[in-house]
Amino acid sequence: MRGGDRDAYADLVHRHAPVAVRTAALLGAGADAEDVVQEAFVKAYNALGRFRQGAAFRPWLLQIVANETRNLHRSAGRRADRERSAWRLTEPLLLAVPAAEDPAATVVLRERRSELVRGLGKLSEPHRQVVTCRYLLELDEAETAAVLGWPRGTVKSRLHRALGQLAAALAAPAEMTEVRRGH
Amino acid sequence: MATDTDALVAELVGLGRDLPRPEVSAGLATAVLERIAEAPAPATAPSSGVGEWFHALGEATRRHRRRTAVVVAAVLLSLLAAPPVRAAVADWFGFAGVLVERGGESTTTSAPPPPTVDAKTPLEEAAAQVGFTPALPSALGTPQGVEVSPDRRLLSLSWSDGPDGPVRLDEFDARLDYTFAKRTPGVVFVAVAGDFAMWFDDPHEVVVLNPDGSRRRETARLAGNTLIWMHGGTTMRLEGDLSQERALEIAESVPAPPF
Repeated sequence: MRGGDRDAYADLVHRHAPVAVRTAALLGAGADAEDVVQEAFVKAYNALGRFRQGAAFRPWLLQIVANETRNLHRSAGRRADRERSAWRLTEPLLLAVPAAEDPAATVVLRERRSELVRGLGKLSEPHRQVVTCRYLLELDEAETAAVLGWPRGTVKSRLHRALGQLAAALAAPAEMTEVRRGH
Repeated sequence: MATDTDALVAELVGLGRDLPRPEVSAGLATAVLERIAEAPAPATAPSSGVGEWFHALGEATRRHRRRTAVVVAAVLLSLLAAPPVRAAVADWFGFAGVLVERGGESTTTSAPPPPTVDAKTPLEEAAAQVGFTPALPSALGTPQGVEVSPDRRLLSLSWSDGPDGPVRLDEFDARLDYTFAKRTPGVVFVAVAGDFAMWFDDPHEVVVLNPDGSRRRETARLAGNTLIWMHGGTTMRLEGDLSQERALEIAESVPAPPF
């Protein structure tokens, strides 16, 4: 696609904006998610001249979204601070997720989900990111690799470790949970 | 154990699916189209009116204002160049281990050729030290110099007697925190093999960063035309007296990473 074809690009924007906004929000863009996405679409457009025909647009776009989201936290200083400031914006979003189940199950589910979100909060940033991309956003392994800029082997190994740590974090205060967990 | 993991995955997927669908405002596509219509050249965004910059400075911390700030940054830097103003409008962004600061006026129109790598470390040995396989652009042939930095984070290759003149290629693990910082008046967003990449064609300051983000003063220098892209999990930084087309050609001659 070349420069003049703006209608086609508008179509791409409509098609990919929802997943792009979700990605930005879950990676820590908070209320700026839509601004991040706007920026990413403009950058992607400006680079389209060199975009290889037939390559998938979505992972490429989401990679820019991920970079832009990271940039939002640049002013937070050191890496650890940046990562914390990103999670601070994502955590409330996840805790507020409505459980559209029947009311009786809602309390238990809500409790369980809070634990799950707290568990995510205990993971290192790369581990949390890989879980976010792969499961919360349901990107496939290749897309996750592209978005995070890691080799696929790294996606696999980090995902494995992240799930292990998450399971361990959830298992820790066993008496606090209402959900049975078999071993 | 497998079922535990499956159950956990199902819970995570369920959580993701119950997230409210984002309300993407109708204005998003319009805003994008307006911006690409008014900014056909990616490197330097046109000024949208100097009057706006007061507004921009007032809310420079807000993301959507910061864009306006970037637009007027060039105007401010050339007209005022007052350090506090400059700090307020500086726009920072990063890509795969490279930190870029917009700014830095071009005081010269040319940069010296990139430093030559004198060491001739065997590639296998270099690979073992940095922990990744060196990516070699076939367009450049065998490098004359191969070196790994003392902290084993950076692999540097150089070619000196080819038709392209002195060319240097730095490679490092992109998962590391920032490795290079650049201060530049402009950047062109391009793509290498379908992936996001950046092209710098103004002479600009470049400095190697320590793992804690501090600058290694002794490494600061003026760099010329540079292309930065990712190859698998490795960040590639190609520098030399190259046209954008030639740089992209060299970048795309690197065999695809093993997936």
